[in-house]
Amino acid sequence: MERARIARQPAHLLLASEFGSATLNEKGSGEYDPSFVITKLGAKVNRIVAAGLLERLELRETSNGSSLYQGQLRDPTGLHYFSIGEYNSEMMQELAHQWTERLNDGEPLLVMMTSKTRWYQTDEGAVYTSLRPEEACVVNREVYANWLLDACQATMSRMNQFTSSLEVEPTLDAYARADLPTSLLAARNHYGEVDLEPFKLNLMQALDIAEGRIEAATTAPPVMSLPDEPEASSEAGQDVQAFLLQAIGHLDQGEGVTFDTLLKNAVARGFVREVAEAKLEEMLDGGTLEEPRFGWFRLAANE
Amino acid sequence: MSEEKYADYVEAVQKECPDADAKEIAEAFAKYEQEFYIPPQDAMRSVLRRFQSGTSPAPATGGTSTRETKKVAGLSELTGNDRDVEIEVAIVTHNIRDQMIRGEEKQIAFGMLEDNPWEENGQRTRWDYKDWGPHANLTSGSIVRIEGASVNEYNGKMSLNINQSTRIVVLKEGVATQVASNDPIDIEAIPKEGYICVVGRVLASRPDQIHRKDGSGSIDVVRGRIADDTGTIGFLSWEPFEHEVGALLKIDGAQVRSFRDTPELNFGRTTRIEVFHDTNFADLETLAQSTKTSISGLRDGSRDVDAVVQITEIAKRTFERDGEEKFLWSGQIADPTGRCRISIWDALPFAESDLPVTLEVRGARVRAWQGIPDITVDKAEQLTVLESPPWDESMDLTNHSVEVPLTEVVAGPSRVGMKTGGMLVSVREDSGFILRCTECRRVLRDGACFDHGANEGIEDIRLRMVMDNDGVTAAVLVNKDATLRALELSGDDMKAKVEELGDLGFVQLVRERMLGRQVAVSGRSIVDEQGAMILADGFEIEQHDAQMRASELRAQWGWA
Repeated sequence: MERARIARQPAHLLLASEFGSATLNEKGSGEYDPSFVITKLGAKVNRIVAAGLLERLELRETSNGSSLYQGQLRDPTGLHYFSIGEYNSEMMQELAHQWTERLNDGEPLLVMMTSKTRWYQTDEGAVYTSLRPEEACVVNREVYANWLLDACQATMSRMNQFTSSLEVEPTLDAYARADLPTSLLAARNHYGEVDLEPFKLNLMQALDIAEGRIEAATTAPPVMSLPDEPEASSEAGQDVQAFLLQAIGHLDQGEGVTFDTLLKNAVARGFVREVAEAKLEEMLDGGTLEEPRFGWFRLAANE
Repeated sequence: MSEEKYADYVEAVQKECPDADAKEIAEAFAKYEQEFYIPPQDAMRSVLRRFQSGTSPAPATGGTSTRETKKVAGLSELTGNDRDVEIEVAIVTHNIRDQMIRGEEKQIAFGMLEDNPWEENGQRTRWDYKDWGPHANLTSGSIVRIEGASVNEYNGKMSLNINQSTRIVVLKEGVATQVASNDPIDIEAIPKEGYICVVGRVLASRPDQIHRKDGSGSIDVVRGRIADDTGTIGFLSWEPFEHEVGALLKIDGAQVRSFRDTPELNFGRTTRIEVFHDTNFADLETLAQSTKTSISGLRDGSRDVDAVVQITEIAKRTFERDGEEKFLWSGQIADPTGRCRISIWDALPFAESDLPVTLEVRGARVRAWQGIPDITVDKAEQLTVLESPPWDESMDLTNHSVEVPLTEVVAGPSRVGMKTGGMLVSVREDSGFILRCTECRRVLRDGACFDHGANEGIEDIRLRMVMDNDGVTAAVLVNKDATLRALELSGDDMKAKVEELGDLGFVQLVRERMLGRQVAVSGRSIVDEQGAMILADGFEIEQHDAQMRASELRAQWGWA
């Protein structure tokens, strides 16, 4: 029987907001050591099971001539970005092809995917996480709802761990004694103070959805994305700058809004990422915005 | 800014510089944060240095060496080719051992070290090191600057070589507070490797000899066993050991080594053994009683195992060795924690027709085959037939599945008759119809068996999948019957499906039905260095009402 030389990494259950807000990664020194994304709640993940509504899936030609499917998956807490390329199995590429066509036909697809996690940093220092699906399938509402609950439970246990870590001396020894994962210590050091409230609101909303109380669940998502405004975004006249200002005003909870969040939201509203990025830069230079911490933006104080 | 905000950091600084004023430290942190946007964890090192200046040797700059020295702050900056390395580290453990080097007996030291030693709560990378000096000023708990070490990379694992010419500058003396080593731990909690401290009572002790493999003589050792009320563990003392059976000892700095899956304590020159006084410690009789093992606790390589088990099947096997006919009894045993095998190399103390029979087994050895423990009994005297089992007699152990969380399954040992659950995260592409070798049942690859070459094979059905739960993973192989039941197909239906969809299309169909679902599997598990594998003869996709579950969670979390 063939055996993997390197132990398989277990899959974790993460909602999009937790994965999308992660900016920390870890990779061993060996060439084949797996790489991990460490989230604000201390989950250290190389592989996750994600699910949600397939919101976009497009075939792109890359600069070296190979083809790449890029897509996004929406769960109640936000978006996962994923890509399927020629490195994927034939089956996965075939599936991407089929789904692209079905999506183009306007068919709503609720999908489940086991994916590897990816992490990259731009030259400017912004950090993005994304997924590379290995296996995926279309699921029904009931399966989705159960997955949502599994993910909620996993998130809740991380939140509880996080809360108990506040009482623990921030050393490896103390964490080991308290049975807390070392990745949580790394997360605490990297992210500093983490507000659990948005995570809690995410869970409440996810519970509402799993329970079928969709009405209750259609409140504004707390932090990671803007509420859907039915008309506004379709107006072609709304420009990037207005949108970014509005987004920052909406999402800033005191410490600014991350580059990542802004661009994700911009892209979600149909703006071209590069254009939004350039605009941010321009507003920063022009003094409309300030960057109190690297990669965090807020409206410049009017003096 | 309040001092409270930085309380943890202030405390950490004060640990290193007890004379420093808390208020001043807090002000320093506030300055870094407010004026430079440097968070306290990043400012830690600078603040520490400021308050420490004058009390410790200033870091040498320039250096006297003319070689290209690579100065790094963290181990992660090093590569496998780095030679002349300079780094400040904390020595976590330090052990001395004798080693034959080019025919000469030499002392070397080894252990673990950590980078980033000054930052109390920073992230630290831990490497093994070897000190070929060995340097007398390298002690555990100290913080040192190592000048002129080289990096060793073996199988992707990095370690540091401290050579004889390497200079060690002690920056902070090792306070011999090896927390890990001075706190005795329960025997049950002993890890597979490492240095530990335990308190235990000697259950057995006998002198033994170990013969050097090269024929250069033998070493006198003492073997034995100690126990506390959480378990027992064997020991091997390389030094004279004269404590009698029944003595209560505190053993500090014992090295744990594992033979197969069984940890054993090694006592050497650096191990400190002293008589311990504790009137509440369990006495010899109680400990000897409580050392009975259950089947789930059997480990490959264990010796002196006592257990009460029920024999559910037994068969005599005869074979010839050296022209002489020999026999052994081989059978299945069970207790409420699981099932496994037994081998008895003597006449049975009961009749085959009496099965099931409950037996007390004493002093048996455990070997494992395909990961399944096999209790080996050499003499009939080691067995006593019991009138009735110590557990509920009405329990049918022949079909009994013990529910074990996946985290425990993966931690081992291998089990028979287990049941576990988790999320199905992968359906491998070689699921479906397969051909097995006509000789050995191994799956054929491209029509050929690895051992027996090309053959037409026998058709079989299986699913090869992966399930995960709570951060652990296991491979799952589902047999033919369970596969067909789970898919609600007959063999013919399945054949038709595969013809219709193709092999990969069929795999995708299985994924559509199973991926991301909670599943329950039963069967046996094999756990080895490659990980855990479950051979399932039972497989079920769990059905849950999401609405009910959501309401339950809401109630559980107090959000009703």
